[in-house]
Amino acid sequence: MDETHDAAIVVDDLSFRYPGTDENVLDGADVTIEPGEFVAVVGGNGSGKTTLCKSFNGIIPHFYEGTFDGRVTVAGLDIASSSVAELSQHVGYVFQEFDNQLVNPTVFEEVAFAPLNYGLEDYRERVHRTLDLLDLDGLEDRFIWELSGGQKHLVALAAALSLDPEILVVDEPAAQLDPVNARSTYEHLTDLNADHGKTVVTIEHHTEFIAEYCESVVLVADGAVEWKLPVEDALNRLDDLRAQDVHPPQVTRVAEQVCDGDDLPVTVADGAARFADRAPAESVRTDGAVEPSPAADAGREPVISLTDVSHSYETLREGTRQALDGLSLDLYPDERVVLVGSNGAGKSTLLRLVTGIESADAGEVTVDGVDAGSALPETLADDVVYVHQNPEEMFIEDEVRADVAHYLRDRGYPDVEQRVDDVIEFLDLDALQHRDGRLLSVGQQRRASLAIGLATDPSIVLLDEPTGSLDLASREEVGRTIDRAGQRVETVVVATHDLELAASWATRVVVLDEGRVIADGPPETVFSDAETLERASLRPPQVVRLSERLGLSPAPLTVTDLVSRLGTAESAPPAEAER
Amino acid sequence: MTSLDGLRDATSVDAIKNDLLKTAYENEGSFLHRLDPRVLLLWYVVFLFVPWLFYDVDVLLALLAFVSLLAYASRVSLFLVALMAFTVASTLASYAVVTAFTGDPLAAIRALIPFTLKLTIISVSSLAVFSSMGPKTLARGLRSLGIPRQFTFLITYGYRMLPVLFEEYHDLVNAYRLRSAAPSSPGRFRWRHYAYLLKTSMRAFYPMIFNVAKRSRVTVEAMETRGFSHSLHDEASKELQLADMRVRPRDVGFFAGSLAVVAVIAVAL
Repeated sequence: MDETHDAAIVVDDLSFRYPGTDENVLDGADVTIEPGEFVAVVGGNGSGKTTLCKSFNGIIPHFYEGTFDGRVTVAGLDIASSSVAELSQHVGYVFQEFDNQLVNPTVFEEVAFAPLNYGLEDYRERVHRTLDLLDLDGLEDRFIWELSGGQKHLVALAAALSLDPEILVVDEPAAQLDPVNARSTYEHLTDLNADHGKTVVTIEHHTEFIAEYCESVVLVADGAVEWKLPVEDALNRLDDLRAQDVHPPQVTRVAEQVCDGDDLPVTVADGAARFADRAPAESVRTDGAVEPSPAADAGREPVISLTDVSHSYETLREGTRQALDGLSLDLYPDERVVLVGSNGAGKSTLLRLVTGIESADAGEVTVDGVDAGSALPETLADDVVYVHQNPEEMFIEDEVRADVAHYLRDRGYPDVEQRVDDVIEFLDLDALQHRDGRLLSVGQQRRASLAIGLATDPSIVLLDEPTGSLDLASREEVGRTIDRAGQRVETVVVATHDLELAASWATRVVVLDEGRVIADGPPETVFSDAETLERASLRPPQVVRLSERLGLSPAPLTVTDLVSRLGTAESAPPAEAER
Repeated sequence: MTSLDGLRDATSVDAIKNDLLKTAYENEGSFLHRLDPRVLLLWYVVFLFVPWLFYDVDVLLALLAFVSLLAYASRVSLFLVALMAFTVASTLASYAVVTAFTGDPLAAIRALIPFTLKLTIISVSSLAVFSSMGPKTLARGLRSLGIPRQFTFLITYGYRMLPVLFEEYHDLVNAYRLRSAAPSSPGRFRWRHYAYLLKTSMRAFYPMIFNVAKRSRVTVEAMETRGFSHSLHDEASKELQLADMRVRPRDVGFFAGSLAVVAVIAVAL
């Protein structure tokens, strides 16, 4: 990396305790980040990684009156004696909840906010330069709330960059964005790092991104920095990572079971090279024929049926936005449907139309034979439950238990307490049931929101982004929960960008793009259609991409599938594979 | 009842939201928007007093017509106009109800018409001024008059949060509805249904306040990392933000013209 500055971050024996707690969240952390590095900070929920990064610009200790020990030096400034305003000229910070960090109505004002606050006369040039840098030019006059999630994230990044800091800290970009937008953020960060010499620190759970973009990894465990290693070495420390709920990339997990030695591949390209001689020469089918598309399965009555449905929203400066455009779709009992598509493809709108809280502009939506356009949402809620993508919007009482019971009580069900106990036990919420849902961690909130949904004893469950903004451990837990929910209810529809979830769980994948269905079928079929996925700006899971590079068809969808294919191919002749 | 119908139908909640946001932000082309905010604020202060100088209903009606014209020119939200009309009508009706017991209600209303007209003139000029200015201009105007930035920033931030609050509130009302039982029989004129919606819409406020309060923590940190409190004591920053505000001939012309209109109305009628 070409260094254009000498702003290092030196953390020396840092300890910090939040007020009102008896445990140090950071306990003797030591780390040095050199100018121009691209570093990922990883660690489980509650390991102290965000606290560590918040010390770089002095939010810790200046904004939290905890107990602070040790020394942090950033760009030669001792953070304890420098103000946040002073440090912020060297450190740009993009928060995990970036939506809340955008305080101005338009993009221009947001990016100009910092330079104006510091009285920099060239603020206009700065704004345009920064927007150019992130390919956001043309958006100056757009309203923040009308931007897509990916654009908002880039605007937050631009706002942090407008002071031209040497160091950028980005908290969990991949957790809040769909994979395509997360990639675009990482591409921009890579440019900033390579072409402009910025030091980039990201807090990240997705090791796939780390492997592809970062140079080194800092593992935070129990409030201390366990190690800082170059990325290939770091991602090979499988036990250390797993101990902190960090899941190695799928490629590495496959290699772990298939190869010997410590030097496991961490990216698809590495993996493809390594496994090339192990891939079976001919395509084999793992489990018989691909299932026929359920849509073709005549004779059954659909539970949910959308016919020629269109729906649009008004925006202020962009005219009407068409969310659904003449969409038709029938969903049958006992299906596990995953709706995939980029942000704004119409997934959430479709779910909301099924609940009846919105009525379609045109077309017909029928749920269990009832016209959802004219029925009250309260009536439809007898059969349908909708779990909001932001679990906070599900908490309307002041403890989880009351939230779970709300529906049953309001409808005068008998033996409410018994049913609530059931669900609480089923989802393992015993310890949390008397806490306020809003104050739980994101993973716990997600579980609680699923409990609220399941307590209504629905026959149709609609889940909107159930694995959004979760670390991988919580994601797997939610995956298991959905699995168990699937045993209790008739039809589950999940809207998600999480294609790993789709690959491992769905019986039917429906791809939406610009309000239309562009692909529909079992996951094996849909994920092998690279062209369609690209059109919907989706990326198949790493396992699928790896298998394609290896010439496996149909591509296995999960780590276990791929391992068994490669494993059984031990004696197979070397494949011509790789293309 | 606009608010009730609006709640019943998600799309009209959206319509109201859009209407209000348009009032707040889409005023760039309007006539009053091009004026200096300080002049507009001064004009507003003057028009707070002017109606109280006259008692004649004709003069007041003419003044109302004048400010309504301005309000029309600054594209005031229909929702706000409807809300105001409703308030005026219901105030007059309540006079009638009260005075029915004390004597002649018609005479009472007639006597109270000038008073109501004055209040209406002030309301309409408020609508015209504040919906044409936009949060940013208003904040700059107030700041240049010496109001501290902590306060003026709240105005722009408040407007910025409006759509977020709408969304949050809407989601919470829906969360309630999806987990509640609607009244089994809606009753005459569906009154039970409306009462239920009204109750739900009030209950949704409590979780909304909580959610917003929780989020503001990040907002405060983020503002700090971008030098907000630094700007409070930084003269260069203040100058930069208030640059290119000046009183032009058209500002003076508007002010003088308005006073002339008032004078003509007062003399001619």
